[in-house]
Amino acid sequence: MIRVVTLDPHEPAAVQKLCRLLYQAFGVGCDMAGDMSVPAGMTAPFDAEALAMAAPIPKLYADDRVLYLTSRPLKDRALISGTAPTHGFAQYGGQRALITTAGVKDLEASLKLVGRHAMHQLGHCWDLHHCLDPRCAMYPPWTPSFGANDAIFDTFCREKSEQKIRLAKS
Amino acid sequence: MSDLAPPLKLAVGDRVVYPNQGVCRVTSVEAKEVAGQRLVFVTLRREEDGAVVMVPEAKVQAIGVRKVAGPEEAAQVVAFLRSDSDHATLDWKARSRSNVERMSQGGVLGLAEVVKELAVLSELRPLPTKERELYDSARHLLVTELAAALNAPPCDAEDTFDLVLFPPGRERPKRTVEEFARPRDESDLDAIGDDLLDLDADIEIAPEEAAGDAEPAAAPEEDGAPAPAAKPKAKAKPAAAKAKPAPKKSKPKPAQKAKPAAKPAKGKAAPKAKKQSPKGGKKR
Repeated sequence: MIRVVTLDPHEPAAVQKLCRLLYQAFGVGCDMAGDMSVPAGMTAPFDAEALAMAAPIPKLYADDRVLYLTSRPLKDRALISGTAPTHGFAQYGGQRALITTAGVKDLEASLKLVGRHAMHQLGHCWDLHHCLDPRCAMYPPWTPSFGANDAIFDTFCREKSEQKIRLAKS
Repeated sequence: MSDLAPPLKLAVGDRVVYPNQGVCRVTSVEAKEVAGQRLVFVTLRREEDGAVVMVPEAKVQAIGVRKVAGPEEAAQVVAFLRSDSDHATLDWKARSRSNVERMSQGGVLGLAEVVKELAVLSELRPLPTKERELYDSARHLLVTELAAALNAPPCDAEDTFDLVLFPPGRERPKRTVEEFARPRDESDLDAIGDDLLDLDADIEIAPEEAAGDAEPAAAPEEDGAPAPAAKPKAKAKPAAAKAKPAPKKSKPKPAQKAKPAAKPAKGKAAPKAKKQSPKGGKKR
Protein backbone atom coordinates (compact mmCIF):
# COMPACT_ATOMS: atom_id res chain seq x y z
CA MET A 1 0.00 0.00 0.00
CA ILE A 2 1.23 3.48 -0.84
CA ARG A 3 0.23 6.26 1.57
CA VAL A 4 0.50 9.83 0.26
CA VAL A 5 1.14 12.53 2.86
CA THR A 6 1.12 16.23 1.97
CA LEU A 7 3.51 18.47 3.89
CA ASP A 8 2.08 21.64 2.31
CA PRO A 9 -1.47 22.46 1.17
CA HIS A 10 -2.27 20.74 -2.15
CA GLU A 11 -5.52 20.52 -4.04
CA PRO A 12 -7.23 17.29 -2.86
CA ALA A 13 -8.61 16.47 -6.31
CA ALA A 14 -5.13 16.59 -7.84
CA VAL A 15 -3.69 14.42 -5.08
CA GLN A 16 -6.52 11.92 -5.64
CA LYS A 17 -5.59 11.78 -9.31
CA LEU A 18 -1.96 11.22 -8.36
CA CYS A 19 -3.03 8.35 -6.11
CA ARG A 20 -4.96 6.79 -8.99
CA LEU A 21 -1.96 7.12 -11.25
CA LEU A 22 0.31 5.43 -8.69
CA TYR A 23 -2.23 2.65 -8.20
CA GLN A 24 -2.20 1.99 -11.93
CA ALA A 25 1.59 2.09 -12.13
CA PHE A 26 2.42 -0.18 -9.20
CA GLY A 27 -0.66 -2.33 -9.01
CA VAL A 28 -0.89 -1.83 -5.26
CA GLY A 29 -3.40 0.26 -3.34
CA CYS A 30 -2.70 3.97 -2.93
CA ASP A 31 -4.56 6.45 -0.77
CA MET A 32 -4.16 9.84 0.80
CA ALA A 33 -3.05 9.58 4.42
CA GLY A 34 -3.68 13.24 5.20
CA ASP A 35 -1.88 16.53 5.72
CA MET A 36 1.05 16.85 8.08
CA SER A 37 3.39 19.70 8.83
CA VAL A 38 7.09 20.09 8.20
CA PRO A 39 9.13 19.43 11.38
CA ALA A 40 9.93 22.55 13.34
CA GLY A 41 13.24 24.27 12.60
CA MET A 42 13.38 23.26 8.94
CA THR A 43 13.38 25.97 6.34
CA ALA A 44 13.19 25.88 2.55
CA PRO A 45 15.08 24.90 0.52
CA PHE A 46 15.01 21.64 2.44
CA ASP A 47 17.67 19.01 2.71
CA ALA A 48 15.68 16.21 1.07
CA GLU A 49 17.13 13.37 3.13
CA ALA A 50 16.75 15.21 6.45
CA LEU A 51 13.15 16.15 5.67
CA ALA A 52 12.14 12.66 4.56
CA MET A 53 13.66 11.06 7.62
CA ALA A 54 12.32 13.63 10.10
CA ALA A 55 8.80 14.02 8.70
CA PRO A 56 6.00 12.61 10.86
CA ILE A 57 5.03 9.13 9.77
CA PRO A 58 1.42 7.97 9.47
CA LYS A 59 0.27 4.56 10.66
CA LEU A 60 1.92 2.00 8.38
CA TYR A 61 2.14 -1.74 7.96
CA ALA A 62 5.52 -3.34 7.38
CA ASP A 63 5.18 -3.47 3.59
CA ASP A 64 3.58 -0.02 3.19
CA ARG A 65 5.41 2.91 1.60
CA VAL A 66 4.84 6.56 2.37
CA LEU A 67 5.23 9.34 -0.19
CA TYR A 68 5.63 12.89 1.11
CA LEU A 69 4.61 15.80 -1.10
CA THR A 70 5.98 19.26 -0.56
CA SER A 71 5.50 22.36 -2.69
CA ARG A 72 8.68 24.00 -1.42
CA PRO A 73 12.04 23.49 -3.16
CA LEU A 74 14.73 20.99 -2.16
CA LYS A 75 18.41 21.77 -1.84
CA ASP A 76 20.72 20.45 -4.58
CA ARG A 77 23.19 17.89 -3.27
CA ALA A 78 26.95 18.34 -3.48
CA LEU A 79 28.41 14.96 -4.43
CA ILE A 80 32.00 14.04 -5.27
CA SER A 81 31.12 13.98 -8.96
CA GLY A 82 29.29 17.32 -8.99
CA THR A 83 26.06 18.95 -7.89
CA ALA A 84 23.02 16.76 -8.27
CA PRO A 85 19.69 18.44 -9.08
CA THR A 86 17.29 17.19 -6.41
CA HIS A 87 13.68 16.45 -7.25
CA GLY A 88 13.12 14.06 -4.39
CA PHE A 89 14.59 11.46 -2.09
CA ALA A 90 13.99 7.79 -1.44
CA GLN A 91 15.11 5.36 1.19
CA TYR A 92 16.37 2.43 -0.89
CA GLY A 93 14.51 -0.68 0.16
CA GLY A 94 12.88 1.42 2.86
CA GLN A 95 9.49 3.00 3.47
CA ARG A 96 9.97 6.73 2.91
CA ALA A 97 10.03 8.74 -0.29
CA LEU A 98 9.71 12.46 -0.88
CA ILE A 99 9.06 14.61 -3.93
CA THR A 100 8.68 18.32 -4.47
CA THR A 101 6.16 20.06 -6.67
CA ALA A 102 8.16 23.32 -6.64
CA GLY A 103 8.25 24.76 -10.14
CA VAL A 104 4.88 23.23 -10.98
CA LYS A 105 2.23 25.92 -11.23
CA ASP A 106 -0.79 23.72 -11.76
CA LEU A 107 -0.53 20.26 -10.24
CA GLU A 108 -3.39 18.84 -12.28
CA ALA A 109 -1.95 20.11 -15.54
CA SER A 110 1.51 18.72 -14.76
CA LEU A 111 0.25 15.54 -13.17
CA LYS A 112 2.21 13.29 -15.52
CA LEU A 113 5.52 14.85 -14.66
CA VAL A 114 4.80 14.86 -10.93
CA GLY A 115 3.54 11.29 -11.20
CA ARG A 116 6.74 10.28 -12.96
CA HIS A 117 8.85 11.74 -10.16
CA ALA A 118 6.66 9.98 -7.60
CA MET A 119 7.01 6.67 -9.44
CA HIS A 120 10.75 7.15 -9.66
CA GLN A 121 11.21 7.70 -5.95
CA LEU A 122 8.76 4.96 -4.95
CA GLY A 123 10.56 2.63 -7.37
CA HIS A 124 13.74 3.18 -5.34
CA CYS A 125 11.79 2.16 -2.23
CA TRP A 126 11.20 -1.16 -3.99
CA ASP A 127 14.91 -1.47 -4.76
CA LEU A 128 14.72 -0.45 -8.40
CA HIS A 129 17.79 1.33 -9.76
CA HIS A 130 18.16 3.82 -12.58
CA CYS A 131 17.36 2.52 -16.03
CA LEU A 132 18.96 2.85 -19.47
CA ASP A 133 15.62 3.26 -21.25
CA PRO A 134 14.59 6.94 -21.59
CA ARG A 135 10.90 5.96 -21.66
CA CYS A 136 11.12 4.30 -18.25
CA ALA A 137 10.20 6.21 -15.09
CA MET A 138 13.47 5.00 -13.54
CA TYR A 139 15.54 6.98 -16.05
CA PRO A 140 17.62 9.62 -14.18
CA PRO A 141 15.26 12.53 -13.43
CA TRP A 142 17.68 15.32 -14.37
CA THR A 143 17.82 14.28 -18.04
CA PRO A 144 15.83 16.26 -20.66
CA SER A 145 13.77 13.26 -21.77
CA PHE A 146 12.49 12.67 -18.23
CA GLY A 147 10.63 15.95 -18.37
CA ALA A 148 9.29 15.41 -21.87
CA ASN A 149 5.87 15.39 -20.35
CA ASP A 150 3.24 14.58 -22.91
CA ALA A 151 5.16 12.29 -25.18
CA ILE A 152 5.91 9.71 -22.52
CA PHE A 153 3.48 7.67 -20.48
CA ASP A 154 3.95 7.19 -16.79
CA THR A 155 5.25 3.70 -16.93
CA PHE A 156 8.24 1.44 -16.37
CA CYS A 157 10.19 -0.39 -19.04
CA ARG A 158 9.55 -4.13 -19.41
CA GLU A 159 12.41 -5.26 -17.18
CA LYS A 160 11.61 -2.80 -14.44
CA SER A 161 7.92 -3.74 -14.65
CA GLU A 162 8.77 -7.38 -14.06
CA GLN A 163 11.02 -6.50 -11.13
CA LYS A 164 8.48 -4.06 -9.75
CA ILE A 165 5.62 -6.54 -9.90
CA ARG A 166 7.76 -9.19 -8.23
CA LEU A 167 8.93 -6.85 -5.49
CA ALA A 168 5.73 -4.90 -4.87
CA LYS A 169 3.52 -7.96 -4.70
CA SER A 170 5.85 -10.13 -2.63
CA MET B 1 47.02 -11.95 -7.83
CA SER B 2 45.90 -13.68 -4.67
CA ASP B 3 49.33 -15.33 -4.20
CA LEU B 4 51.13 -11.99 -4.05
CA ALA B 5 48.59 -10.05 -2.02
CA PRO B 6 49.09 -9.90 1.74
CA PRO B 7 46.81 -12.29 3.65
CA LEU B 8 43.46 -10.79 4.62
CA LYS B 9 42.95 -10.85 8.37
CA LEU B 10 39.34 -10.51 9.36
CA ALA B 11 37.93 -9.64 12.75
CA VAL B 12 34.39 -9.50 14.07
CA GLY B 13 32.66 -6.29 12.92
CA ASP B 14 34.76 -5.81 9.75
CA ARG B 15 32.91 -4.84 6.58
CA VAL B 16 33.90 -6.84 3.55
CA VAL B 17 32.67 -7.40 0.01
CA TYR B 18 31.82 -10.92 -1.06
CA PRO B 19 32.11 -11.08 -4.89
CA ASN B 20 28.74 -10.98 -6.64
CA GLN B 21 26.94 -10.84 -3.28
CA GLY B 22 27.61 -7.39 -1.92
CA VAL B 23 28.64 -5.81 1.34
CA CYS B 24 28.79 -8.19 4.30
CA ARG B 25 29.75 -7.84 7.95
CA VAL B 26 31.90 -10.38 9.77
CA THR B 27 29.78 -11.69 12.64
CA SER B 28 32.07 -14.40 14.01
CA VAL B 29 35.38 -16.17 13.51
CA GLU B 30 35.33 -19.60 15.13
CA ALA B 31 36.88 -23.04 14.84
CA LYS B 32 34.66 -25.96 13.89
CA GLU B 33 35.23 -29.63 13.24
CA VAL B 34 34.02 -30.73 9.83
CA ALA B 35 34.57 -34.30 8.56
CA GLY B 36 37.32 -34.89 11.10
CA GLN B 37 39.15 -31.69 10.20
CA ARG B 38 39.41 -28.69 12.46
CA LEU B 39 38.82 -25.55 10.41
CA VAL B 40 38.45 -21.90 11.26
CA PHE B 41 35.29 -20.45 9.72
CA VAL B 42 34.51 -16.80 9.11
CA THR B 43 30.78 -16.08 9.27
CA LEU B 44 29.61 -13.26 7.02
CA ARG B 45 26.17 -11.67 7.15
CA ARG B 46 25.02 -9.79 4.08
CA GLU B 47 23.92 -6.30 5.14
CA GLU B 48 21.20 -6.04 2.52
CA ASP B 49 19.04 -8.95 3.63
CA GLY B 50 20.86 -10.70 6.45
CA ALA B 51 21.81 -13.81 4.47
CA VAL B 52 24.58 -15.75 6.23
CA VAL B 53 27.55 -17.52 4.65
CA MET B 54 30.38 -19.38 6.39
CA VAL B 55 33.75 -19.40 4.65
CA PRO B 56 36.86 -21.35 5.76
CA GLU B 57 39.45 -18.75 6.74
CA ALA B 58 42.04 -20.32 4.43
CA LYS B 59 39.76 -19.79 1.42
CA VAL B 60 38.66 -16.24 2.13
CA GLN B 61 41.19 -14.71 -0.21
CA ALA B 62 40.88 -17.34 -2.91
CA ILE B 63 37.14 -16.67 -3.10
CA GLY B 64 37.86 -13.00 -3.64
CA VAL B 65 36.54 -11.56 -0.38
CA ARG B 66 38.03 -8.09 0.12
CA LYS B 67 37.71 -5.08 2.38
CA VAL B 68 35.10 -2.46 1.44
CA ALA B 69 36.47 0.34 -0.77
CA GLY B 70 37.33 3.69 0.79
CA PRO B 71 36.64 7.27 -0.31
CA GLU B 72 39.87 7.32 -2.40
CA GLU B 73 38.70 4.34 -4.42
CA ALA B 74 35.28 5.97 -4.83
CA ALA B 75 37.04 9.02 -6.27
CA GLN B 76 38.98 6.71 -8.61
CA VAL B 77 35.70 5.21 -9.80
CA VAL B 78 34.33 8.66 -10.61
CA ALA B 79 37.58 9.57 -12.39
CA PHE B 80 37.39 6.36 -14.42
CA LEU B 81 33.76 6.95 -15.38
CA ARG B 82 34.59 10.50 -16.37
CA SER B 83 37.56 9.44 -18.53
CA ASP B 84 37.01 8.96 -22.26
CA SER B 85 37.64 5.21 -22.14
CA ASP B 86 34.28 4.51 -23.70
CA HIS B 87 35.26 1.56 -25.82
CA ALA B 88 33.18 -1.60 -25.68
CA THR B 89 34.02 -4.83 -27.43
CA LEU B 90 31.41 -6.16 -29.83
CA ASP B 91 32.55 -9.75 -29.44
CA TRP B 92 29.94 -11.01 -26.98
CA LYS B 93 32.04 -13.99 -25.87
CA ALA B 94 35.05 -11.88 -25.00
CA ARG B 95 32.78 -9.34 -23.35
CA SER B 96 30.99 -11.93 -21.30
CA ARG B 97 34.26 -13.55 -20.18
CA SER B 98 35.84 -10.26 -19.16
CA ASN B 99 32.68 -9.07 -17.41
CA VAL B 100 32.42 -12.22 -15.32
CA GLU B 101 36.06 -11.81 -14.33
CA ARG B 102 35.62 -8.14 -13.49
CA MET B 103 32.57 -8.87 -11.37
CA SER B 104 34.36 -11.47 -9.26
CA GLN B 105 37.96 -10.23 -9.20
CA GLY B 106 37.95 -6.63 -10.32
CA GLY B 107 37.00 -4.86 -7.12
CA VAL B 108 34.91 -1.71 -7.13
CA LEU B 109 36.69 -0.48 -10.26
CA GLY B 110 35.79 -3.72 -12.03
CA LEU B 111 32.12 -3.12 -11.23
CA ALA B 112 32.41 0.40 -12.62
CA GLU B 113 34.02 -0.99 -15.78
CA VAL B 114 31.11 -3.40 -16.31
CA VAL B 115 28.53 -0.66 -15.74
CA LYS B 116 30.31 1.77 -18.07
CA GLU B 117 30.94 -0.74 -20.84
CA LEU B 118 27.33 -1.94 -20.89
CA ALA B 119 25.98 1.61 -20.65
CA VAL B 120 28.14 2.58 -23.65
CA LEU B 121 27.00 -0.51 -25.53
CA SER B 122 23.37 0.36 -24.86
CA GLU B 123 23.94 3.58 -26.79
CA LEU B 124 24.39 1.40 -29.86
CA ARG B 125 21.49 -1.01 -29.31
CA PRO B 126 19.30 -2.27 -26.44
CA LEU B 127 21.10 -4.78 -24.25
CA PRO B 128 20.09 -8.44 -24.50
CA THR B 129 18.34 -9.90 -21.45
CA LYS B 130 21.39 -11.59 -19.94
CA GLU B 131 23.50 -8.49 -20.18
CA ARG B 132 20.68 -6.37 -18.91
CA GLU B 133 20.57 -8.58 -15.83
CA LEU B 134 24.33 -8.35 -15.49
CA TYR B 135 24.12 -4.57 -15.80
CA ASP B 136 21.45 -4.37 -13.09
CA SER B 137 23.43 -6.66 -10.84
CA ALA B 138 26.69 -4.71 -11.33
CA ARG B 139 24.85 -1.44 -10.75
CA HIS B 140 23.29 -2.74 -7.55
CA LEU B 141 26.66 -3.96 -6.21
CA LEU B 142 28.32 -0.67 -7.17
CA VAL B 143 25.61 1.37 -5.43
CA THR B 144 25.86 -0.63 -2.21
CA GLU B 145 29.66 -0.53 -2.15
CA LEU B 146 29.89 3.18 -2.97
CA ALA B 147 27.29 3.91 -0.30
CA ALA B 148 29.47 2.03 2.19
CA ALA B 149 32.66 3.70 0.91
CA LEU B 150 31.27 7.23 1.07
CA ASN B 151 29.15 6.60 4.15
CA ALA B 152 26.23 8.10 2.23
CA PRO B 153 22.67 6.91 1.52
CA PRO B 154 22.40 4.65 -1.56
CA CYS B 155 20.36 7.38 -3.27
CA ASP B 156 23.40 9.69 -3.23
CA ALA B 157 25.77 6.87 -4.15
CA GLU B 158 23.78 6.05 -7.28
CA ASP B 159 23.47 9.71 -8.26
CA THR B 160 27.23 10.12 -7.77
CA PHE B 161 28.09 7.92 -10.71
CA ASP B 162 24.94 8.58 -12.74
CA LEU B 163 25.79 12.28 -12.84
CA VAL B 164 28.79 11.21 -14.92
CA LEU B 165 27.05 8.55 -17.01
CA PHE B 166 23.96 10.71 -17.63
CA PRO B 167 25.20 14.32 -17.54
CA PRO B 168 22.44 16.80 -16.57
CA GLY B 169 20.72 18.58 -19.42
CA ARG B 170 22.23 16.31 -22.08
CA GLU B 171 20.83 13.27 -23.86
CA ARG B 172 23.01 10.20 -24.27
CA PRO B 173 24.59 10.04 -27.73
CA LYS B 174 23.57 7.52 -30.37
CA ARG B 175 26.51 5.42 -31.50
CA THR B 176 27.30 3.57 -34.68
CA VAL B 177 28.88 0.16 -35.23
CA GLU B 178 31.92 1.81 -36.84
CA GLU B 179 32.83 3.46 -33.56
CA PHE B 180 33.05 0.06 -31.90
CA ALA B 181 34.48 -1.93 -34.78
CA ARG B 182 37.92 -0.34 -34.85
CA PRO B 183 40.40 -1.23 -32.14
CA ARG B 184 41.06 1.70 -29.87
CA ASP B 185 44.86 1.74 -30.34
CA GLU B 186 44.58 1.85 -34.11
CA SER B 187 42.16 4.77 -34.12
CA ASP B 188 44.32 6.65 -31.64
CA LEU B 189 47.37 6.28 -33.86
CA ASP B 190 45.41 7.45 -36.89
CA ALA B 191 44.16 10.44 -34.98
CA ILE B 192 47.71 11.41 -34.01
CA GLY B 193 48.93 11.12 -37.59
CA ASP B 194 52.33 10.21 -38.97
CA ASP B 195 53.68 13.73 -38.77
CA LEU B 196 53.12 13.97 -35.05
CA LEU B 197 54.62 10.55 -34.48
CA ASP B 198 57.67 11.96 -36.25
CA LEU B 199 58.49 8.70 -37.92
CA ASP B 200 60.21 10.24 -40.92
CA ALA B 201 62.39 12.64 -39.02
CA ASP B 202 64.08 10.48 -36.42
CA ILE B 203 65.13 7.40 -38.30
CA GLU B 204 67.55 7.80 -41.10
CA ILE B 205 68.41 4.63 -42.93
CA ALA B 206 71.16 4.21 -45.47
CA PRO B 207 69.86 3.34 -48.96
CA GLU B 208 71.72 -0.02 -48.92
CA GLU B 209 70.07 -1.06 -45.66
CA ALA B 210 66.68 0.08 -46.88
CA ALA B 211 66.90 -1.96 -50.04
CA GLY B 212 67.69 -5.17 -48.15
CA ASP B 213 65.12 -4.49 -45.49
CA ALA B 214 62.15 -6.36 -46.90
CA GLU B 215 63.73 -9.80 -46.72
CA PRO B 216 64.88 -9.92 -43.09
CA ALA B 217 61.53 -8.44 -42.00
CA ALA B 218 59.84 -11.80 -42.59
CA ALA B 219 62.38 -13.79 -40.58
CA PRO B 220 60.97 -13.30 -37.07
CA GLU B 221 57.48 -14.32 -38.21
CA GLU B 222 58.72 -17.61 -39.54
CA ASP B 223 60.07 -18.39 -36.12
CA GLY B 224 56.61 -17.92 -34.71
CA ALA B 225 57.23 -14.64 -32.89
CA PRO B 226 55.11 -11.76 -34.26
CA ALA B 227 57.14 -8.83 -35.57
CA PRO B 228 56.55 -5.54 -33.78
CA ALA B 229 54.07 -3.40 -35.69
CA ALA B 230 55.84 -0.05 -35.40
CA LYS B 231 59.21 -1.15 -36.76
CA PRO B 232 58.24 -2.08 -40.31
CA LYS B 233 56.19 1.10 -40.60
CA ALA B 234 59.06 3.24 -39.40
CA LYS B 235 61.58 1.63 -41.65
CA ALA B 236 59.31 1.39 -44.64
CA LYS B 237 58.55 5.08 -44.93
CA PRO B 238 61.95 6.36 -45.91
CA ALA B 239 62.57 3.32 -48.09
CA ALA B 240 59.63 4.29 -50.30
CA ALA B 241 56.70 2.05 -51.33
CA LYS B 242 58.80 -1.07 -52.02
CA ALA B 243 59.17 -2.14 -48.42
CA LYS B 244 55.54 -1.50 -47.40
CA PRO B 245 53.89 -4.63 -48.77
CA ALA B 246 56.51 -6.86 -47.12
CA PRO B 247 54.60 -7.52 -43.87
CA LYS B 248 51.36 -8.14 -45.80
CA LYS B 249 52.96 -10.71 -48.08
CA SER B 250 54.65 -12.50 -45.26
CA LYS B 251 51.39 -13.01 -43.29
CA PRO B 252 49.80 -15.74 -45.40
CA LYS B 253 53.02 -17.75 -45.39
CA PRO B 254 52.67 -19.40 -41.99
CA ALA B 255 48.98 -20.13 -42.65
CA GLN B 256 49.76 -21.88 -45.91
CA LYS B 257 52.43 -23.93 -44.23
CA ALA B 258 50.19 -24.90 -41.34
CA LYS B 259 47.24 -26.09 -43.44
CA PRO B 260 48.78 -29.17 -45.05
CA ALA B 261 50.03 -30.33 -41.66
CA ALA B 262 46.58 -29.97 -40.09
CA LYS B 263 44.51 -31.52 -42.88
CA PRO B 264 45.53 -35.16 -42.75
CA ALA B 265 45.48 -35.29 -38.96
CA LYS B 266 42.14 -33.53 -38.35
CA GLY B 267 39.92 -33.55 -41.34
CA LYS B 268 36.95 -31.99 -39.56
CA ALA B 269 38.86 -29.14 -38.00
CA ALA B 270 38.95 -26.98 -41.11
CA PRO B 271 35.18 -26.91 -41.89
CA LYS B 272 34.44 -26.19 -38.24
CA ALA B 273 36.65 -23.17 -38.22
CA LYS B 274 34.98 -21.93 -41.39
CA LYS B 275 31.55 -22.17 -39.79
CA GLN B 276 32.56 -20.27 -36.73
CA SER B 277 33.78 -17.18 -38.50
CA PRO B 278 30.48 -16.13 -40.13
CA LYS B 279 28.68 -16.75 -36.84
CA GLY B 280 30.90 -14.29 -35.07
CA GLY B 281 30.39 -11.84 -37.88
CA LYS B 282 26.61 -12.04 -37.64
CA LYS B 283 26.50 -11.39 -33.93
CA ARG B 284 28.62 -8.38 -34.37
